Amino acid sequence: MLRLEKSKETQFDILTLLGEVDASNSVILDKAIQELVESGAKHILVDGQGLEYISSAGLGVFMSYLEDFNDQGIWMGIFGLPPRVYEVFKILGLDQLIPIFEDKSAAIGSLNEA
Amino acid sequence: MVKIPTIHIGKLSLLLSIFVWLALLFVDLVRIFGIINELDSGISEEITWILEILFFFTLYGFYSYSIGKNIQGDFLNLIWRGASTGLFATAFGLLTQLFYTSLAETKIGSEPFLKNFFYHVNFALTTLFLISTTILWKHLILYQKNKQVVKQWQAFEFAMLVATFFVFFNKNNFDYSFLFGLVILLIISIVLSGNLKWIPYLTFKEKWKSLLFLSLILLSTGYLFNRLLAYGNEDRFQINLTDNLFLMALFGFIFVYALFSFLVTLFNLPTSSVFEQKLTEAINFQRLSQSIQPEENEEQVLDILMDSCMSASYSDAAWLEMNPEEHLGGIDQLRFLDEWTKKEISDWIRSQKTAQEWAAVEKPDQLLPLAIRLEHPRYESALLVPLIINKSAIGRMVLCKEVRDGFNKEMINIISTFARQACIAVENHRLLNQAIQNERYQEELKIAQRVQKALLPTRLDHPDSFDICAYSNAADEVGGDYYDTYKLDENRYVLIIGDVSGKGTSAAFHMSQMKGVFHSLIQLELSPAEFMIRANSALSKCLERNHFITASIFLINTENQTINHSRAGHVPTLLYRAKEKNSEFLMFDGLGLGILRNKLYENHVQERTFGFNSGDILVLITDGVVEAKNQKGNQFGFERIKSLVEINCEKTPRQIQQVLIDSLHAFVGGDGMIDDDYSLMVVKFGKKE
Repeated sequence: MLRLEKSKETQFDILTLLGEVDASNSVILDKAIQELVESGAKHILVDGQGLEYISSAGLGVFMSYLEDFNDQGIWMGIFGLPPRVYEVFKILGLDQLIPIFEDKSAAIGSLNEA
Repeated sequence: MVKIPTIHIGKLSLLLSIFVWLALLFVDLVRIFGIINELDSGISEEITWILEILFFFTLYGFYSYSIGKNIQGDFLNLIWRGASTGLFATAFGLLTQLFYTSLAETKIGSEPFLKNFFYHVNFALTTLFLISTTILWKHLILYQKNKQVVKQWQAFEFAMLVATFFVFFNKNNFDYSFLFGLVILLIISIVLSGNLKWIPYLTFKEKWKSLLFLSLILLSTGYLFNRLLAYGNEDRFQINLTDNLFLMALFGFIFVYALFSFLVTLFNLPTSSVFEQKLTEAINFQRLSQSIQPEENEEQVLDILMDSCMSASYSDAAWLEMNPEEHLGGIDQLRFLDEWTKKEISDWIRSQKTAQEWAAVEKPDQLLPLAIRLEHPRYESALLVPLIINKSAIGRMVLCKEVRDGFNKEMINIISTFARQACIAVENHRLLNQAIQNERYQEELKIAQRVQKALLPTRLDHPDSFDICAYSNAADEVGGDYYDTYKLDENRYVLIIGDVSGKGTSAAFHMSQMKGVFHSLIQLELSPAEFMIRANSALSKCLERNHFITASIFLINTENQTINHSRAGHVPTLLYRAKEKNSEFLMFDGLGLGILRNKLYENHVQERTFGFNSGDILVLITDGVVEAKNQKGNQFGFERIKSLVEINCEKTPRQIQQVLIDSLHAFVGGDGMIDDDYSLMVVKFGKKE
């Protein structure tokens, strides 16, 4: 089960993930990111505090946007991942490509510095 | 032995009846000869009566045999048979009458023998007509019979049998007992004449024909009856064959039944089209429900639907509008109107608010046909019939009539039933085709499974200095895990394990690409990091955008006792050190293949080199092992693997592998499926050779 919530703050769009991302619902995640991009979002912050599990298909969704975001100048960061989920990102090496923060304030701080 | 020829009952009884009639004629003529010549011929009246009764019986036998055999359900033919016999008997009677009127004054005209001969012929023909028609009536009365009707008929037959012998008591006098018998038989005839179930099954045209035939039978009966009475009044005949209760009762029966049939048929004429309509509807309904064979196509079903609905509602024109995605181009969509008129009407319908609301309804499965008025020079009303399959509308049928408000409730009911039935037929047809296709896919998947199994090595290359085993299991028929070994030379071996993101068919295709890439790169004897860089660049070109591969590679040098290792996003490998009696996961940076599809990847891959000793164990796994979940949602995890290996470190690789697999299954639970591909490879180093 995956639940998605979108909210807009002054500097960025927040995409909240609740539950599990697997092969069956990774399409929903993909669509949500696609919509954010189309709505003109330039800074996307993914709230991963409620993310219990992410399968390789879910990781594939994040990965597939890396290059596009680079080209279009869109910034995407993730914060608040539970240790077990963070480990998955780390094993795959995605932590080297996507900025991952401990919490929201760290993410905002990093964004303001840049 | 003498072969007895098979007895033909029909022919035999016919022959017998002719023979009996000849005997009757002979006996009577001899008696008349005696009377004229005032000689006592010694032939009593009883002989005549007996012969007459025999004649009745043989004729009855002949007709019940020949009619019973030939005619089944063809009512018109039955009635025609009766009418033609009646006509023949009447014609002969008329001819005799004509003969005698023209020769009234001559000697031949008063010749008793000739007169008696004609009397006998007329008698025979009348009896023929009466008995044959009785048998025909029997078939009509017993159409759709029930027990009660059969009993009534049997009673009638018994009464008739008694009537044939009545002559012995009554001596052919017209007295009260005769009258009494006649009344009883007539009452039974009237009761029987209520059985007219065959009439509704005649079509309108057949009803007209049967009216004609029945009137012929009525006329013949009337004429022959009169003729018989006339004969009876002539005293010149000493023998009276025809003032017989049996014959009189038959006259009554045939006349009453013919009259009833005539009147009922006549009054049924106006309603017969309704009955025909209902019958056609029933047949159409049956056709619709039967047309679900796979060889029949949807167009045929819709064709039948249109025909049925048009005839059920007396529509003047109709067409089908299918949704564009239904691809039913082959269907004859227009009935009795041209493309231009159709466009005119459908444009008009589209402009109507009720029709718009009707078409835009949320749940089309509840939708009923909609009758609307048209403003068109020719067509005045239309009925929109939705075609709904699987809760969504696949199109609609439009029926048009030239009269205003031409569709009543009954028509709409039957039409919506037709439409529903047709849609069920189409849906069944589709489901059946789908099932056939699914079966074919299953077959294909089995083949894919077999082919993919062959992609994994059956034999793992290794020297005596280390032992190795491996296992892989796919969640679906095919999976995305891969492992292999390669011998570079006597002292150098390569181990590789890989995992495609996702699972199922797409993962399996990528897995075969991975194998191709890995196999060509292994032979280049690259360093592990260089191997990953080249693999990334090759796979980046063929992987789908959101797919990636994780892999680990180990270059084992048995001479130097070293391992050169690189990790590309893959689950860290467990290394057990026998000397220290503990183990660790070899975790360091390394990005999955296909994630960065450019030169920058080089910055994200590392290499590690370490030594090994006898008793050391390497356990290569894929994420399916680590992430396998039990019913509580807990993962199998790294720690469990680690401690299991440490506890079982003395065992052979195969035993360790089995322990891991068994524990994994026990962890997930009895029937819990591991819903990801999982693989593992266990290596245990021995003494240096």
